[in-house]
Amino acid sequence: MKKVTCILFAVFLAAGFLLCVFLPKAQYSDSERRKLASMPTFQAQNIWNGRFMTDFETYAVDTFPFRTAFRTLKAVTATNVFFKKDNNDIYVSDGFIAAVEYPFNEDSLNRAVKRFRYIYETYLTKNNKVFLSIIPDKNCFLAKDSGHLSMDYREFEEQMKQKMDFAQYISISELLEKDDYYKTDTHWRQEKIIDVAERLAQNMGTTLSSNYKLHTLTHDFYGVYYGQAALPLESDVLQYVTQDVFDECYVYDGQNNKEITMYDMEKAAGRDPYEMFLSGSLSLVILNNLKAQEDKKLIVFRDSFGSSIAPLLISGYSQITLVDIRYIQPDYLGQFVHFDNCDVLFLYSTLVLNNSETLK
Amino acid sequence: MLFSSITFLYYFLPLTIGLYFLFPKCLKNMVLLLSSLLFYAWGEPKYILLMGSSIVLGYGFGLLVEKYRGKKLGQVFCILSVIISLSFLVYFKYVDFFITNFNAITGLNIPLLKVVLPIGISFYTFQMISYIVDIYRGEEAQKNIIYMAAYIAMFPQLIAGPIVRYSDIAKQLETRTHSWDMAAEGIRRFVSGLAKKVLLANQLGELCNVFRGSDEKSVLFYWLYAFAFGLHIYFDFSGYSDMAIGLGKIFGFRFLENFNYPYISASITEFWRRWHISLGSWFRDYVYIPLGGNRVKRGRQFFNILMVWMLTGFWHGAAWNFIVWGLFFAILLMIEKVWLLKYLKKSKVFSHIYVLFFVMISFIIFNAQDMGQAFLDIKGLFGIDGVPIVSAQALYCLSSFFVILIIAVIGATPAVPYGIKMVCHKPIGEKIINRIEPFVLMVLLLVITAYLVDGSFNPFLYFRF
Repeated sequence: MKKVTCILFAVFLAAGFLLCVFLPKAQYSDSERRKLASMPTFQAQNIWNGRFMTDFETYAVDTFPFRTAFRTLKAVTATNVFFKKDNNDIYVSDGFIAAVEYPFNEDSLNRAVKRFRYIYETYLTKNNKVFLSIIPDKNCFLAKDSGHLSMDYREFEEQMKQKMDFAQYISISELLEKDDYYKTDTHWRQEKIIDVAERLAQNMGTTLSSNYKLHTLTHDFYGVYYGQAALPLESDVLQYVTQDVFDECYVYDGQNNKEITMYDMEKAAGRDPYEMFLSGSLSLVILNNLKAQEDKKLIVFRDSFGSSIAPLLISGYSQITLVDIRYIQPDYLGQFVHFDNCDVLFLYSTLVLNNSETLK
Repeated sequence: MLFSSITFLYYFLPLTIGLYFLFPKCLKNMVLLLSSLLFYAWGEPKYILLMGSSIVLGYGFGLLVEKYRGKKLGQVFCILSVIISLSFLVYFKYVDFFITNFNAITGLNIPLLKVVLPIGISFYTFQMISYIVDIYRGEEAQKNIIYMAAYIAMFPQLIAGPIVRYSDIAKQLETRTHSWDMAAEGIRRFVSGLAKKVLLANQLGELCNVFRGSDEKSVLFYWLYAFAFGLHIYFDFSGYSDMAIGLGKIFGFRFLENFNYPYISASITEFWRRWHISLGSWFRDYVYIPLGGNRVKRGRQFFNILMVWMLTGFWHGAAWNFIVWGLFFAILLMIEKVWLLKYLKKSKVFSHIYVLFFVMISFIIFNAQDMGQAFLDIKGLFGIDGVPIVSAQALYCLSSFFVILIIAVIGATPAVPYGIKMVCHKPIGEKIINRIEPFVLMVLLLVITAYLVDGSFNPFLYFRF
């Protein structure tokens, strides 16, 4: 059997080497949603300063044959052999994939409040009604029951309320539960947050049309956590709702100066179907309701959760402006957004507030 | 290049093994040397010249020391060679430490040189010294510079030991045999070392990192950290030694063992006979015995112990906590020599608890950024400074790493080899083990590859030495 060990080892290494060298290399990882490293340039200077070697190491790992399968093997070993409670901070509970969001980062929260206060002090007056609402991340409904670390969401909410004393707080957390989120993605399900939209509208003094039509995407939806978890799990079903009022809406992409649709069906078939809602990550989007009963405008400072709820709010407004200050400096907002007589809603998920270094 | 990397495992190793066995016997050392230089240059392209000059100097001095052996000039060349080797080490590893302390004492502000530490310099410097001193003591110098360079630069033990004495492999450099048995033994050793490093050490290191980054320290967390780090450093270093020994066997070399289940020791004296054996014996043979060893008065013997252990600590790193770490062991060893050893023999349970506790404390000192942090960590173990008893994060880590900790504890004892030995006592058991072993090794390699492909946490602790 000694011979068998040697031969197997030799075959293993030789096969690994040949596959590494000759197998065509992927340039993009769908499951990880990122560009993979490419072969570094073979130049004397790169070699002398060690850059070539460092980059090659990354390239070798990124383009390793059957990378996704190996990542799955690792995740399965970590969770089923070593019984790790999470794999790279991702865990699965009751069929839902979530990321450990811990601990409560008070510095991050303070930073977010500072950025919001800057907007308030720079652009808003007493004529603007200002609201705040916090979207708890999925972890809030899963972590405790599954024995994972869970930050104190109540404390988080309380601190945010106190520090944002210029805004009226609208609580939505009691309307949410784990089933309101996708199993494989960070986001909430649009078809499940109609009550949230109604709560927000009611508190902001407007009423919404209750005439909704439900649609279902025919293809599977694998959210961002799916690739990170690297575990063989079921896909989600992505549903979206439409209203008659959508036919009377004009949606403008202020970042690229062009008209867009409420739901981008090309993106629905793309790498991240959630981007179908208002075309995904855009710094400035304006929804104009041309048949609105009254001239009521809302500006929403938001993250990606805002993309799916904004269409549900449009029936109560003549215009909704969505601003994502992760992609636009608040200093320049005055050039693009008119704040006069507008209500303002700060609508953020705990994921962004607890990691607010992304806010400009 | 790390052994536990995709580049090593799937690019470097297949090519090197392939070429090594393809070339005739007379060129095998050349293949080893060239691949070792590539291996070193991969991590330190600039310092290949430093290692090259070290080798050429060592080769020249070796011939001179042999030529003038027994004469005054032989001694001069030996001392000169040792001084040159040590001066390289002092400059690259310790110069900033000396400048910092000089500045602190004198109030001056001499700028630091910020010299990058060449990988493995501590190991190959000690090998070079042992080569020269062994020749001075009567060993034959290597006449073939290729062989000499292959000995110093040999990639399996170049960057993390074990410190291979020239006298131990001199004959193997000239004539060595290769066999299926030896290669299979080497493969088993290499894969199990890789598994220790990737599947255990890296994960335990992850736990230590979570502790370090946490704002939720608690007594439980401090103990968990101390426990995990003790296991982490053991599996990291012994795993690397296993890989080195295993690769050596594949290429026909027999390196001496470097670890022998140190955590089952019943005294600190025994611990150091089982932990980093090649370093301990190096200091014994090249420092402690030349200083007089045990054959001197007790006072002088204690001075020798303090000196050796201060140097042992300092060898591990250019910082005060390493020196304190070494002296900490020196004091324990002296206490055992004078008084404690006879009592330790009376109670097995107490002696094991005693060893584990003090070794754990020593590694807290070892792993601290500075002595301030070391004291803070030690105080934390006992809840001083108002640290809470438990924290949510500590409990979470305990439950998440529980299985890994249990596997690590079992792996740190001879339980597994003992179990296998018991099974092999019966012919059927041996047959089964022999049949499944190759496949178990391949499955392990697949899982290790999966961890390497997925993980970015893969630093090797002993690199900084």
